[in-house]
Amino acid sequence: MSKLLALTALLLALLWSLAPAGAQAVTELASLHASFSPNRLGAPTTIAFGFHLATSEGAAPPPLTSLDLRIPAGMNYTDTTLGLAICQPAALQATGLAGCPPNSRLGYGTALVEVPFGTGQGHEIPEIQAVSGPSPHGNLVVLFYANGLYPVYAQLAFSGEVLPDSGRYGSQLATNVPLVSSVPGGPDVSIVDVQTTIGPSHLTYYKHVHGRLVAFRPRGVAVPERCPHGGFPFAAEFTFQDASHTTAATTVPCPPRRHR
Amino acid sequence: MAAVLRRMRVDRVNSRIHLAAGLCLLLVALSSAAPARGAGPRAIASRTFSLSDTGRLHLTSKHKFTLNEQGYASGTISGAIYIHLNVVSTNHVTAEVNIYPSGGSITGYANASYHPSGSVATFNGTMYLARGTGRYSRARGSGLSFTGTIKRENDAVTVHVNGRMSA
Repeated sequence: MSKLLALTALLLALLWSLAPAGAQAVTELASLHASFSPNRLGAPTTIAFGFHLATSEGAAPPPLTSLDLRIPAGMNYTDTTLGLAICQPAALQATGLAGCPPNSRLGYGTALVEVPFGTGQGHEIPEIQAVSGPSPHGNLVVLFYANGLYPVYAQLAFSGEVLPDSGRYGSQLATNVPLVSSVPGGPDVSIVDVQTTIGPSHLTYYKHVHGRLVAFRPRGVAVPERCPHGGFPFAAEFTFQDASHTTAATTVPCPPRRHR
Repeated sequence: MAAVLRRMRVDRVNSRIHLAAGLCLLLVALSSAAPARGAGPRAIASRTFSLSDTGRLHLTSKHKFTLNEQGYASGTISGAIYIHLNVVSTNHVTAEVNIYPSGGSITGYANASYHPSGSVATFNGTMYLARGTGRYSRARGSGLSFTGTIKRENDAVTVHVNGRMSA
């Protein structure tokens, strides 16, 4: 197995070095989508968001190094009970989600990663976890963890900080994405697609009530009380290893008016 | 002889007046030097003293981005305390604080950074005293430290206010 890995790494490195210079001057394309579940004004919700990255040539994009996701103004964080516990990054990296308290879970998802010069279709990392991390600057911190075993052996662990924003956007999730080798010593993997949630959907928290451990569902961040014209705006800016940037935007449609 | 006796009586009366006046001055000086313990500051004359209070509050209601809290403050000034805590952004809060000690009330406004982390969110900023009523009608102060915690599970608030104020 180790010989196979070493051979793969060698081949990938060779391909990387033989690639024409023009191959690196590609145009990255990004698409973004977002949704609220439920999508009801003022109601606690689960935010689902995802993005897909590609190049105009149809190949895998360069490795992603940062992502700023801008979230609509008016999202209400005062009522949420998400992230009542903190997960330490070292524990997350060492033992995965098992190293984190259940009350630190914020959401989950999947990802597709691609080795350089791959087909662009990607290889699925079936499980991404989002947990609440320690806050060195006093802001909410989301830790993402993805455990890829085959064909890309990669533990992706990176953190995003929730910062205030202005105008149409109330906050932004500023995330630095570390570079991860596709195989030991090989080139870095490209993230092609990520789908994840932040919210109480499928999460169970626990609390002590009169000495007993009781399960409960955390409350999510609330949808704004008013919907702006055209829907709730989301936007994302992606930065790649080669310092190139691309952006994408989407809206969550306004919920239908309730008939009384 | 009669004139001498009259003179002695006048001197005694004068010395009593001087003594009484001296005692009055001493009392005034003492009362303005430090707040009376337990009785709280009097509204007779404005004076400055150190304020150090802790309030423990529980949530009574929520409206949009505002937590309405009620509880009891203890320390230099004791009494019922009400706070309207407005979460302005993911890391900033403002607050209106009303304290109702015996014989009056004090209203202050605070501006603080807000740091949610796990089960507790902390806030840290400054507060100014805008107005008062009754015995505290001259309550004023600015740059008071305003710190505390919010227990995220039930929104219970503990707040500490420290600094110099006049009343």
